[in-house]
Amino acid sequence: MKRRLLAAAGLLMATTAGAGPAATPSVAKPAPAAAIGCVDCHLALDDARITPPAKAFADDIHAKSGFTCVFCHGGDADATDQEVAHDRKKGFIGKPSPRDIPGLCGKCHSDAAAMKHFNPSLRVDQLSEYKTSGHGKHLAQGDTRVAQCASCHGAHGIQPVKDSRSPVSPRKIAETCNKCHGDAALMANYKLPADVYAKWKKSVHYQVRVEKGDLSAPTCNSCHGNHGAAPPEVGSVANVCGTCHAVFAEKFRVSPHWEPFKEMSLPGCVTCHENHEIVRPTEAFLAEGDQGKCSSCHEPSSAGGKAAAAMRVDLVALAGEIRAAREKLDRAAEAGMEVSRARFELSKADDALTTARTDVHRFQAAAVHTTASAGLAVARSAKKDGDRALAERDFRRKGLFVSLGLILVAIAALLLKIRTLPGGRESPKS
Amino acid sequence: MSLSASEAPGKAARFRSWVEERLGWDDLAHLAQKKEVPIHHWTIFYYLGGMALFLFTVQVATGILLLLYYRPSSAEAFESVQYIMADVPFGWLIRSIHSWGANLFVGVVFLHMISVFFLKAYRPPREATWITGAMLLFLAMGFGFSGYLLPWNTLAYFATKVGTDVPAQIPGIGHLLSRILRGGSDVTGATLSRFYGIHVAILPAMTTVFLGIHLYLVQRHGMSVPPGVERPGKPKTMRFLPDFLLRDMVGWLVAVALLAALAAFLPWELGVKADPFVPAPAGIRPEWYFLWMFQALKYLPAKVAGIPGETLGVLAIGGLVAVLAILPLVDRKRSRIWNVAAVLVLIGAAILTVLSLLPPKGTP
Repeated sequence: MKRRLLAAAGLLMATTAGAGPAATPSVAKPAPAAAIGCVDCHLALDDARITPPAKAFADDIHAKSGFTCVFCHGGDADATDQEVAHDRKKGFIGKPSPRDIPGLCGKCHSDAAAMKHFNPSLRVDQLSEYKTSGHGKHLAQGDTRVAQCASCHGAHGIQPVKDSRSPVSPRKIAETCNKCHGDAALMANYKLPADVYAKWKKSVHYQVRVEKGDLSAPTCNSCHGNHGAAPPEVGSVANVCGTCHAVFAEKFRVSPHWEPFKEMSLPGCVTCHENHEIVRPTEAFLAEGDQGKCSSCHEPSSAGGKAAAAMRVDLVALAGEIRAAREKLDRAAEAGMEVSRARFELSKADDALTTARTDVHRFQAAAVHTTASAGLAVARSAKKDGDRALAERDFRRKGLFVSLGLILVAIAALLLKIRTLPGGRESPKS
Repeated sequence: MSLSASEAPGKAARFRSWVEERLGWDDLAHLAQKKEVPIHHWTIFYYLGGMALFLFTVQVATGILLLLYYRPSSAEAFESVQYIMADVPFGWLIRSIHSWGANLFVGVVFLHMISVFFLKAYRPPREATWITGAMLLFLAMGFGFSGYLLPWNTLAYFATKVGTDVPAQIPGIGHLLSRILRGGSDVTGATLSRFYGIHVAILPAMTTVFLGIHLYLVQRHGMSVPPGVERPGKPKTMRFLPDFLLRDMVGWLVAVALLAALAAFLPWELGVKADPFVPAPAGIRPEWYFLWMFQALKYLPAKVAGIPGETLGVLAIGGLVAVLAILPLVDRKRSRIWNVAAVLVLIGAAILTVLSLLPPKGTP
């Protein structure tokens, strides 16, 4: 029955596409669009296993570029008979094994000359990168549970990465990684935690990326790479974080912590900031207590402990002074006072606070103190401007009440004068 | 040598006589003493004209003071207003009074016009008084529109962009008009210089002419008495000097107190400097007296019988304005239909104004 259906579909196709010898697939020159015999049959069969891929392929970027099923699956697309179409002698491989998929995709995607015909700006090192990844290494050892190309990009209906429908598009990639990395049973095989996505969702990176919609904030592949996905090595954590947080990384490299961290194999930034659950740092990191980071290594009475306390005092003082100045300027602005220049000046204190916070990564209290002191002077000046504006507001209001008093006296005098005037008189006769 | 007490009045009288001989002030004084103001139920509306004139004087005085510091260029306009508000002694007071006063002035002119309409004061022979009054209302709105841009802040910049787009809807000459108004294809520093020139030279010159004619005609024809009051017989009157003027002055002092309170408690905001390269912020809207027009144009469909909706809207508003200007010439029989139409227009404009002030849908 199935064979009859296939034959019927084949006949239909032959009348529309024309029959002929199977063309040898060429990457540079994809087969003509008419060679879609596989899709016609697979759609006609309406089989839950083979029809959906044929449907999905219509919207696949490869189909839109002129590629057909035979480029990946082999066989003869022009054949009207299933046996001929699926002839192993004609290179038919059926459903590729997960182990073969990277090589299969790499056949084109690692061929710079071939890729130039479609997207010259597309990288061609994905396969070699994949081989360096944790996924690639496990796959090479025969572990087919790990991710290969189709696990993330899909097999049929593949969309460009920038297309929001793609599972690896910037807004979806974390969920795609989490399909496996959130599977506790699967991760247990590799002794990997399955809560990384949940932790990332609590991070400042998630807040910025997802809640604020700023796609420059990192997601999984920003730090782990995509095709060469692997955890950053202990020694390279600062480099990875430093790709965005360049100033922090630069200051950390010249800090007295750089060498000891390397010697103790401490993972740089992650030592204090965690890896996935990276929360917004506060001055509490420098204090003792649950949130304290310095105190986990430095006794409060030690030089390191004292330096941390001194840095905290400077940062807290500057943040407090900025807050107080801003509150005064806001009050003045609400009263309609012109304080935009003072507000602009205060933004320099904000800059100083940011710089002082980066200076913490030099782990030298004097550096933080110098920067914070400069900011403190600016904030105090802005606060004085706020005080002056509020005093001016009070002066204006007092002046108004005095003026209103004088105006009321003048009105009263006028009304008294009006009372003395004679009433209306008959219209003068013209 | 000092003057004795008996010599002083003599000198004053001689000075007065010297002035009178040259200027003929006594004729004016005689005219003012002869002027009478009718007393009836609606006498209070007579004070609106004097109030508008007083507020206009305040605008001229504060405007001249602002001119001393204001710099009409896109690079310096905002900063110069900022300087006026923050550094010039009492600059904040002058600018706030000028800005609040402008709104009060337009409001009083509107009320004056409405009262004159319903009291039918444009009856013959006062047609020209109405027409010059209507021109003065349009000039007041022109002052408001051109002055709004001068601080060169974001709100004014984008509101002017929208406002100068409106004339472009007029078929045929619209785009040319818009270009002339802007001094180019877009609102730029050239528009600012142009609006400045319009605000401080062209409009004041035109206002002087129309105001002169308007005041002359008011003196020429005297105060109009509403038909309902006139029918039973001539009402009682009061002298303009000093009876009416003293009452006028009470109103002016109240206006001064109001302006001072607004300046002290709600100084006119400066906002953020205009940046043509940033997207228009939400909530862009013109001055309140243009809101009804702004809102009406929003509701129009894209096309009506093949004609762009906005073009039809602008033409309809133009027609309404033209009818308003020449009302005494079209309402010759003083039909009640005009009262009904005016009430409907006023209610419609009020509803549109309120609607435009409501926050847009989806705003928390």
